[in-house]
Amino acid sequence: MPFTKTRSAIIKAITSCVPPKQFDNMKDATEFNIEEVKKVVRMAGVEQRYMANDSICSSDLCLAAAKDVMSSLGWKNDTIDLLIFVTQSQDYFLPSNACLIHRDLNLPASCAAFDVGLGCSGYPYGVWLASMILQSPGFKRALLLHGETPTRFSSNTDRAVALLFGDAGSATAIEANESDNEGDEWVFSVHTDGTGYSDLIIRGGGFRDRFPNDRKSCFVHMNGANIFNFTIKSVPKLVDDTLEGAGLTRDEIDYFILHQSNRFIMSHLAKKIGIPSEKLPLTITKFGSAGGPSVPLTVVNGGLKRPTDKPLKLLMLGYGVGLSWGSALVDLSPEAVLSHLVLNTIN
Amino acid sequence: MTEAEALEWIAELFEESSDAIQADTPRDDVPAWDSLGVLSLIAALDQRCGIVLSGEEIEKMTRIDDILEVLRVNKKLE
Repeated sequence: MPFTKTRSAIIKAITSCVPPKQFDNMKDATEFNIEEVKKVVRMAGVEQRYMANDSICSSDLCLAAAKDVMSSLGWKNDTIDLLIFVTQSQDYFLPSNACLIHRDLNLPASCAAFDVGLGCSGYPYGVWLASMILQSPGFKRALLLHGETPTRFSSNTDRAVALLFGDAGSATAIEANESDNEGDEWVFSVHTDGTGYSDLIIRGGGFRDRFPNDRKSCFVHMNGANIFNFTIKSVPKLVDDTLEGAGLTRDEIDYFILHQSNRFIMSHLAKKIGIPSEKLPLTITKFGSAGGPSVPLTVVNGGLKRPTDKPLKLLMLGYGVGLSWGSALVDLSPEAVLSHLVLNTIN
Repeated sequence: MTEAEALEWIAELFEESSDAIQADTPRDDVPAWDSLGVLSLIAALDQRCGIVLSGEEIEKMTRIDDILEVLRVNKKLE
């Protein structure tokens, strides 16, 4: 199916959250010689990023973000009907991160809470799931949490990934649209190609190889060339399908929020798709590639110009590990609260 | 393009002087043809010629003539 639609929901707030440790690639990446670092920085665009230490998990980043959106909206804990946690760097194999957050936020037993195991494509998928569930009777308020700590699963000596990743969490507060305006729809396009499963993979530590002899297999392996090829083939069509579903042209989209994979790849995609640079916010320079959470991180920190009298049309695009890719074409109203915080590890 | 133009273009892509890039130049003699260089090559083939190869095909390339061969097969060389 090229695209699908849901009745639009309302994005009430998005908060992004990063760990306190700031890492400057040019100054702090001592495992590589400076010329090598310069080359990677020039191409991938990652000048600095934020890194979790051994004790910070995606749940910590998302919990802080969730508390922030709830407090800014005045949402009481017993009014949350749905909690979706999208991650591939969960605290435990079981239980799910969603259950940990459910405890920490003291959410009611009536709240549905579950994890979704998606990475780079996770945000569009998460918004799709949340908006579908919010169409069900009884569901009014959803928290969509999306966080990853890729620096904790990448080797600091693997040139393909070491200088690229940053860690981040996010919380998006979404409310069911109870107005009678039947015309509003969100458009999604969601895809999978499992034949590329080994292009971005952590082979060790799961149940296929529970206690690997080679500890390196617990780090991520990325075939950058295959991933790049996949994005060139799939993302332009993803944009076309989504726009066709919405009956809109590129000009009618205010911002294209791309998964911040690598500046070179994003620039190539933008040229190929025909996205002008002013509609392509980039946060990879400051935050690195934070996996799927780079999408909400970019909505919050991408310098979006927001008119006060009409919503922004955002086309959000996620693509990578799986291989999995998806889009979400949504509205961001002028009232939506966007904020960013650095995790306070003292409390 | 002609083969000479293609060699010139490949030299530019890998930031080499044009006499350093010949059909029989092995990949190992082109420092910029590393994992980042592969991304540049993929992007350049797509942008200039509309050719999208699989990662496997790209990995199999061991000398400059393998790039020329891709251009030949895709009828981009005169």
